Amino acid sequence: MRLKVWGARGSVPAPGPEMNRYGGNTSCVEITLASGEHIILDAGTGIRTLGLDLTSSPHVNILLTHLHLDHIQGLMFFPPCFRADADITIWGPASPEASLEDRVARYISAPLSPVEVRELPCDVSFRDTPPSEWQLGSATIRCEAINHRGPTLGFRITDGDTTLCYIPDHEPALGTVLADNEPEWISGYDLARDADLLIHDCQYADDEYPLHVGWGHSGMTDSLTFASRVGAQRLLLFHHDPLHADGFLDDLHAAARRRWAELGGDSASVEMAREGAVLDVEPVAAPAGISGA
Amino acid sequence: MERMAAQKPLELILARNLLTSISTPAFLVDQDAALVFYNEAAGALLGRSFEDVGRMSPEDWTSTYGPFKANGQPVELDELPTTRAVRDGRPAHAVFTIRSANGGKQEIESSAFPIVASEEGSSGAMIFFWPHDRSGRASP
Repeated sequence: MRLKVWGARGSVPAPGPEMNRYGGNTSCVEITLASGEHIILDAGTGIRTLGLDLTSSPHVNILLTHLHLDHIQGLMFFPPCFRADADITIWGPASPEASLEDRVARYISAPLSPVEVRELPCDVSFRDTPPSEWQLGSATIRCEAINHRGPTLGFRITDGDTTLCYIPDHEPALGTVLADNEPEWISGYDLARDADLLIHDCQYADDEYPLHVGWGHSGMTDSLTFASRVGAQRLLLFHHDPLHADGFLDDLHAAARRRWAELGGDSASVEMAREGAVLDVEPVAAPAGISGA
Repeated sequence: MERMAAQKPLELILARNLLTSISTPAFLVDQDAALVFYNEAAGALLGRSFEDVGRMSPEDWTSTYGPFKANGQPVELDELPTTRAVRDGRPAHAVFTIRSANGGKQEIESSAFPIVASEEGSSGAMIFFWPHDRSGRASP
């Protein structure tokens, strides 16, 4: 699998010269499967530039973890939405309250938008994520509810013998001590276990987290502890706080690498998501991950 | 990597985190009415911590802790507020006697609340306990 980060920011776009290296666009990751098909994870503002890159007659699957604005804001500016030859399937969490289409349409409708979903020239369909595994191209997809504010999913994508897990908004340490908790009681554990690459929320530095407990995001050490507990082989820290400029994220990255090494891991296997970055995800031979830390 | 039992649904994880953080004695049961957690306050009431006993089937925990009716007879599983909450997806309240690990008995009120997160029904229940207030006033 090949992954490209089109937006790594959380909460709200954060443009500006001090954000240039990590980028200011909100959550969007493109996965290219071994078979050549594409899956798009979330539709933050990063999806706009992704859409400019797509070839003619695109058929795209977009997996939405949840419907907070930083994960759907780019949809209305996704160029294929305005192409009659585009076929777009949007997957997202089910709700007893309203269909996925109706919930997304609260954003793509007046007065927030000049167009309505029904006016989009593309062929767009909305699908609730199924409770069991399903196939998209050569990939097997599984999702689970994880701890964030409001109904939110994480995704586990397996293509051949490679597995990627995407949990961009997650606070698994809320009300518990991650390092001590039994695995079956850790939000997202089964979804992320033994992943070759874990893309995980790291919105806050450790000294920022106490002021944001319950906001649905993780501090750096909690992100690393979660990755360590699930045995992730490689970790991509994601969903950067909009206040965190490049220099701050450089320092956070250095601190994360030191902490990961303290936990017994290879510091090079912790990376910071950066807009435009391309990563090849390959199976990592055990025991590269940290076990039972 | 660690071995693990089946991953608990998120709503049970969050319920456990809540119970861990409060001082009202409380049980957490899963969709089979098995006892999967009780908090420190419940452990103090029962005389044993959850870490000491671990997961218990409905038969195990009722034979260990009760509850018992006023006449001393065990409450049938089907009559337990827990069972009704899980089975019917409705809250339930009852007064009965429980037995702690040291054999002491205590009259308590219990309220069971179903945990429902999908159309498939209840995935468990939280049960809160209060010492029974014979004055008839609402317990604190």
